[in-house]
Amino acid sequence: MDIGHLKQHSDLNFKVAQAKKNALEKLRSRQLMAYNQRLFQADANTINLVSTLKQHSEDFYVLDANDNPCHITDPEEFLNRLIERNQETLNAYHQLHQDLANKRIT
Amino acid sequence: MTTGVLLYCFDTETAKYHNLAERCILQAQEYLDLPITVVTNKDTQSRLKSKSVEYKIVTEKTGNTRTYRGQNVPWHNKERALAYEHSPYENTILMDCDYFVFSDTLLQLSASQYDILLHHDTHDLTGEDMIVGSDESTLPLVWATVTLFRKTTNTRAVFDMIKHVQAYYSHYRNLYRIKYNNYRNDYAFAIALHQLSLGSKIPTPMAMLPIGVDVTDSDASGVVFKYGNYTNFITGQDVHIMDKEWCDV
Repeated sequence: MDIGHLKQHSDLNFKVAQAKKNALEKLRSRQLMAYNQRLFQADANTINLVSTLKQHSEDFYVLDANDNPCHITDPEEFLNRLIERNQETLNAYHQLHQDLANKRIT
Repeated sequence: MTTGVLLYCFDTETAKYHNLAERCILQAQEYLDLPITVVTNKDTQSRLKSKSVEYKIVTEKTGNTRTYRGQNVPWHNKERALAYEHSPYENTILMDCDYFVFSDTLLQLSASQYDILLHHDTHDLTGEDMIVGSDESTLPLVWATVTLFRKTTNTRAVFDMIKHVQAYYSHYRNLYRIKYNNYRNDYAFAIALHQLSLGSKIPTPMAMLPIGVDVTDSDASGVVFKYGNYTNFITGQDVHIMDKEWCDV
């Protein structure tokens, strides 16, 4: 590869990396979810925590995104909403990721 | 409890903020479906065409300026300190008219019970990190671009403190070693929250397109933007656009 092609390659990779960064920020922002008047991130951590606590108790407390406690009285409903939001955002990210992968190939 | 959007919009000699506000209103109606109140002056209101919003007419304070694309331009931004009094809603989404909604994220935020929520961080969509310079102040900065607040005693104290900071801005500017001479709401809000130990974070950063970026195209779901030789786009994500002319055409 001569320096001209290397520059083109570098430019494309910069664009793809930035698009990926932006898409991840969008994903995180779309994962914000209000529940029982508190704010949660519908990410893997929250889902894992709720899923684990649900196995031990019918109701429990968790910290929200700003470290305030929230009483979860219907863990099933909460978990379903978290998973729905999480998968909705990940589907959108997956589509963009595929587009970016195709860009790199072509 | 009533929830609504509050906007401030004052045209200046150099910027047609009413064009930005028109677009901002359209986006908010599309994604939030909440009542909207625009605080403006008579002159700007005569150019605003939106019928389905409430207008509150005030006479704004003048004299403040900002740097925009190498020029010093007028900036009428001091009325925001009165947002608590101006808002007819118990739960208010206070937004700059250059903040554009392309998702329901603000509805999620407004469904929480925090007294006051603001962004503490930004995400520069260009990847150039042009938004915040180094050593601009000794203050934990917040962004007043989007402020969600409920009418509570705490919030009342915050807005009263902002008024006090505005009145004695040169003192607070020195105290917090703020680099810029002009009055910025971001700093006034940050100082008030710091003094009162109040305010909660919007957990994700605010997506921004800095001043040097041109918006070249848009539809109801997103915008296309150009910086240097790069063109990119965003969809489904709320964004603060600092290009003040993109709605003029």
